[in-house]
Amino acid sequence: MDYARPDRAEALAAQYVAGTLRGRARARFEALLPSHPALQRAVRDWQTRLMPLTTALPPVQPPPAVWQAIERRLWPQPAPQPWWSKLGVWRALSGAALAGVVGLGVLLSVPPPAQAPVVVVLESTGATPAVAGNVVASFSADGQAVVARPLTRVSLESDRVLELWWAPEKGAPTSLGLIKADGVTVLSRGKLPGGLRASGIDHMAVSVEPPGGSPTGKPTGPVVFYGKLQL
Amino acid sequence: MIERVAEEDWPQRSRELSQLLARAAMGDRQAFATLYERTSGHLFAVVLRIQRDRAQAEDLLQEIYVSVWKAAGGFDAARSQPLTWLTHIARNRAIDSLRRAQAQPRTESLSAADDDDGPDPTAALASDDPGPLDLLGRASERRELNHCMDKLTPAQRQSVALAFFDGLSHAEVAEHLREPLGTVKSWVRRALSTLKGCLDRAASTDARRAI
Repeated sequence: MDYARPDRAEALAAQYVAGTLRGRARARFEALLPSHPALQRAVRDWQTRLMPLTTALPPVQPPPAVWQAIERRLWPQPAPQPWWSKLGVWRALSGAALAGVVGLGVLLSVPPPAQAPVVVVLESTGATPAVAGNVVASFSADGQAVVARPLTRVSLESDRVLELWWAPEKGAPTSLGLIKADGVTVLSRGKLPGGLRASGIDHMAVSVEPPGGSPTGKPTGPVVFYGKLQL
Repeated sequence: MIERVAEEDWPQRSRELSQLLARAAMGDRQAFATLYERTSGHLFAVVLRIQRDRAQAEDLLQEIYVSVWKAAGGFDAARSQPLTWLTHIARNRAIDSLRRAQAQPRTESLSAADDDDGPDPTAALASDDPGPLDLLGRASERRELNHCMDKLTPAQRQSVALAFFDGLSHAEVAEHLREPLGTVKSWVRRALSTLKGCLDRAASTDARRAI
């Protein structure tokens, strides 16, 4: 089948999105999709046309078991079985003793459970009208890896770059590095002693800087995004 | 091609969903839980229309959100609106589940209506759920698409509604309407090409309002 013919691509995309392309034809179409930009465009256009029709459907709340199953599948926690859980002592313990045991449990839990990353959303400050939207930054819990990504295209003058900073509540910001205006940047840095929580980092910012980043070690251009760390 | 609406002009809800997806893509579980809270009712409704077996529909919903978590990084706000993207993933999974079921002829087609086992694709037609034509009617009222729908013949409207909302194949639509397969195929094809221009205009209006 000649998928390169625009009318053919168009008709197939329509049937695919409407759901009437079935069986082997559907599978073949899906297999071809990744390597045919024109087909992808046609599919996106048909999605934009047809999907809003589904908003006529009255919502149906799924049972809570569905979300619980999703959580179990995505983040299986091999919850370590502490020794006392097998002894059936829970019921016998008074509230105070219980608190003591829980405290002990925290000390005993080795290795510590893998901690979820910390995500910060930096909002546009409005300092420059050309820069809108948000930047999302994600830190590993030890503060070693940072992934940053602007959510909308940021238009910068050609000789300007974006630099990501973080700072304690009172004190000078430290540069984390330059980030791309149009995609994902992964930065890695030395381990923070005591992890992110103990670091005292309070907020983050993105400033506009000359090529190569701030020459002074402090933000020199306008701060265009700002966000608080919530630990 | 459809005119793209810049993200700044999106309705608040789309912008929020888009931000939740971006955060989920970076491992933010809380954002993903909120995304689920806000969208699962809609996606479950979409899936249940197509896959009428409730237990299977629940399993599908689970699979859908597991893939959404994994694919969240691939969502591109410059190319589609978040709810459109999510709904497409859900519909695709639901339709694929019918494809798998076709390997077991019992649940394949309308002939299964005689069989107590397996979901009955015509169940919607007999139940209290809004019928596919009602849904098309509601969707078009809400989106002022009546003039688009008026361009279709009743037969075209009905075929496209059965196929789109209930996930019936051409053959199933033909059987339901007791019309030859070839006729139904051309109804669906013509209906889609007639709707194209009209929906394009509506889509760019929608994108600025709430979808």
